[in-house]
Amino acid sequence: MILVWIALAPLLGGLLYGAERMLRARMQRRQGPPLLQPFYDMFKLLDKRTLIIHAPHALLALAHFAVLWFSIAAIFLGWNLLYIIFLHLFAQILLILAGYSVRSPYSHIGSNRELLMVVAYEPVLILVAVGLYLVSGSFEISEILKTGGYLMQLPLLFAALLMIVPIKVKKSPFDIGEAHQEIVGGIEVEYSGVFYEFLYMSRFLEYLFIYSFVYLFGGESHWVGAVLVAGVFLLVNLVDNATARVRPAQMVKIIYTVAMALAVLNLAGVLL
Amino acid sequence: MDMVLVLVLLPIIAALLLGLFPYQRLQYIISGVALALLSIVAFSLYTSLSDFTFHLPHNLNILIIAADVVLLLFFLYQGRKFNNIKVMVLAVAQLLLYGYIEMVAPAAGSAEIIVDELSKFMFLIINGVGGVIVLYAVKYMEGESASPFKKRLFVGALLVFLSVMNLIVCANSILLFFFLFEMTTLASYLLIAFRGDEISRENALKALWMNQIGGVVILVGALVAIIGFDTVMFDTLLESSGGVLMLSVALLSMAALVKGASLPFEGWLLGAMVAPTPVSAMLHSATMVKIAPYLILKLSPVLVATMVGGVISLIGALVFVAASYLALSRSVLKEILGYSTVALLGLMMALAAIGTQESIAIAMVLVLFHALSKALLFLSAGVLEKQYHCKNIEEMKGMVNRDPKTVGFILFGFVSLTLPPFGLFMGKLFAITSVASLLSEHPAYLIVLLALIIGSTLLVLLYFKVASALLSAQSDVVQSEKMPIPTGFNIPLVVLSFFIVAGAVGYIMMQQNIFVILLAFPMLFVFALPSIIRGMERYDRTIPYQCGEKSSFDSALVYYAPSIKIQRAMYWGFGILFVAVALVGAMT
Repeated sequence: MILVWIALAPLLGGLLYGAERMLRARMQRRQGPPLLQPFYDMFKLLDKRTLIIHAPHALLALAHFAVLWFSIAAIFLGWNLLYIIFLHLFAQILLILAGYSVRSPYSHIGSNRELLMVVAYEPVLILVAVGLYLVSGSFEISEILKTGGYLMQLPLLFAALLMIVPIKVKKSPFDIGEAHQEIVGGIEVEYSGVFYEFLYMSRFLEYLFIYSFVYLFGGESHWVGAVLVAGVFLLVNLVDNATARVRPAQMVKIIYTVAMALAVLNLAGVLL
Repeated sequence: MDMVLVLVLLPIIAALLLGLFPYQRLQYIISGVALALLSIVAFSLYTSLSDFTFHLPHNLNILIIAADVVLLLFFLYQGRKFNNIKVMVLAVAQLLLYGYIEMVAPAAGSAEIIVDELSKFMFLIINGVGGVIVLYAVKYMEGESASPFKKRLFVGALLVFLSVMNLIVCANSILLFFFLFEMTTLASYLLIAFRGDEISRENALKALWMNQIGGVVILVGALVAIIGFDTVMFDTLLESSGGVLMLSVALLSMAALVKGASLPFEGWLLGAMVAPTPVSAMLHSATMVKIAPYLILKLSPVLVATMVGGVISLIGALVFVAASYLALSRSVLKEILGYSTVALLGLMMALAAIGTQESIAIAMVLVLFHALSKALLFLSAGVLEKQYHCKNIEEMKGMVNRDPKTVGFILFGFVSLTLPPFGLFMGKLFAITSVASLLSEHPAYLIVLLALIIGSTLLVLLYFKVASALLSAQSDVVQSEKMPIPTGFNIPLVVLSFFIVAGAVGYIMMQQNIFVILLAFPMLFVFALPSIIRGMERYDRTIPYQCGEKSSFDSALVYYAPSIKIQRAMYWGFGILFVAVALVGAMT
């Protein structure tokens, strides 16, 4: 059963992405695309002629997608949270290397930004894992989901996690990775056809990845987890519609001062 | 015992042979055989179970005292010759202290040399990695502009240095340890000054006086041990309790902080990067600076759960973050590697000073894998320096086109420092778990944990920023010529990469945890990908998007640097913390 879910993970993420586009359109009082639009886009992309810069660049996109999928599988299987975070880091590094491996200024700036995003959210993710560990006594997701009450004990840590969700799903005010007015397509700009497809699908997986962390705060209760995810989903899109993009350096500064302070305060509170 | 003697004497014999025979090919053979023998002996020692103890004969002890005095007089002479007051003052201080200590030191004690688990582990690193570097040095010196004799002297000095290192990690007498500590300082001084220009001379003197501070604190620590416990032996000291024990241990730990180039002493290690690359790799990354975590590991039974241990972990953790951050402002590849060495040494010392069984094991893992990865990176940097005369990462843009293989080695080095399933990554991962498990007992370790997390992330930023300069290949449309790496450079790099992979496999298997083994799966997949997916020729090639511009343009590298004010505050802070180690030791 769980293997089926793992196999369907990109589909699930695609639905989430489609739902998000609908939600944003409704918030802006537009009709917006249908729920399945991401999948229609994928079929359209498959028809396009594939142009590549060089083979390693193209293959790195595939590798990025595969490793990301592996880390999502690890989440579904209830592995150690730290392993999952670092597998995800590995996937990001592959993407970053891909961006650097072409002599294209947009791709390079895109990679630079992606690297800064890693620098911003990675410590918070690990602190979230440590926070969940301190309350539940284990880094294993399967163990974490057996107890509850995380939200009561770790409210500030949850707020810190909330701050990095927009980075991962590339939403304002932290959508520096997708600032098409500034960096055209960033890393994605040099991909086309079937290899772009992989990057497009990794975006679906990123949604699953970060929202799983939100879900974990529900603990043993699936309902609380689902409500949290729905709430955060709504909130992130609301904020996205209401704020402007900050500069990359500002983003790191905000996360390092506000989010980290929240996380550390919360952890210190739990410990003392 | 014989095997330990081999480890100490064989490098010296090899050095003598090198001096006698001026043939190039023979040099390769001698260093190759030395490498093979030393690693086999070190490995078989590592797998043997028994510990050895050894009393030095009286005559030898007197010889060592004489050598020590000569050494200190030599430092004094160098200080006078180059008119450096710091060197002179410290040399005089050391001479006086040393003379006084030899007068009051107890004549007998436990054995001067003890080979325990930790020493055997260090043998493995020193001889395995050090041997490879010596082999590399033979080829490296061919291209150096120096007289043939001086070149042979250089390789010989590296070999002699190996035997000093082999001895220092089994020294049980603090005075013998001091002598060897000063010998490594001397090696560092002479080898940094090897090129003989003004910068080399200046940096060598800097390295000398900073390391002399380490010597002074060791002597004061020994004096305290004599006054308090009437012993100059590590084992007797570590078994005693109460009194001035913490002060003595604190002073000895301060020597580790100096040798490990922790802030505010990182200047000497950065300056040491002007030396020929084998020196940087051997002394200032793979072996000599490992004395720092080694010494803390040795003292860890006493440091565990004490204020002194806490302060040292705090310093180590903060150094990890600060040095990683400072590295982001540098553009010379070797300096970047130097800063990241300082950072990781800080992490190792922090973990060693925590002193639980688990954190000690992790610190040792970090020592081993850091030595391997950093040696690989330094040697690769040396190849780029020799072949293309590139030192600065700004000049290395697009290097992947000119020298894909060396760039591959460098990237592999970076990956082995940051990603699963390689040893250093695993060490950091287990360190997070281990420190997190201590949090509920010692909430203060939250700072160490935070530093560990942030520092690791900053190092990722650092390494892949460098990678961005090396990569950035032209599209396939443009063909470029490729230059092969000479065999003399290639073999050491391949051997080190093999060690890294073999070490990672061994370490993963040791965990006996199926999930840890599965962590290796993605890396295997990525490496196998080019052979899984074939026929990339069927896709049409294009050139990168340039927004319609006809001339192609480059993106710049990113640098981050703290303001002068923050930097100064940082140095003062670390200076105060350094002194605080002794103060805390005196108070407890």
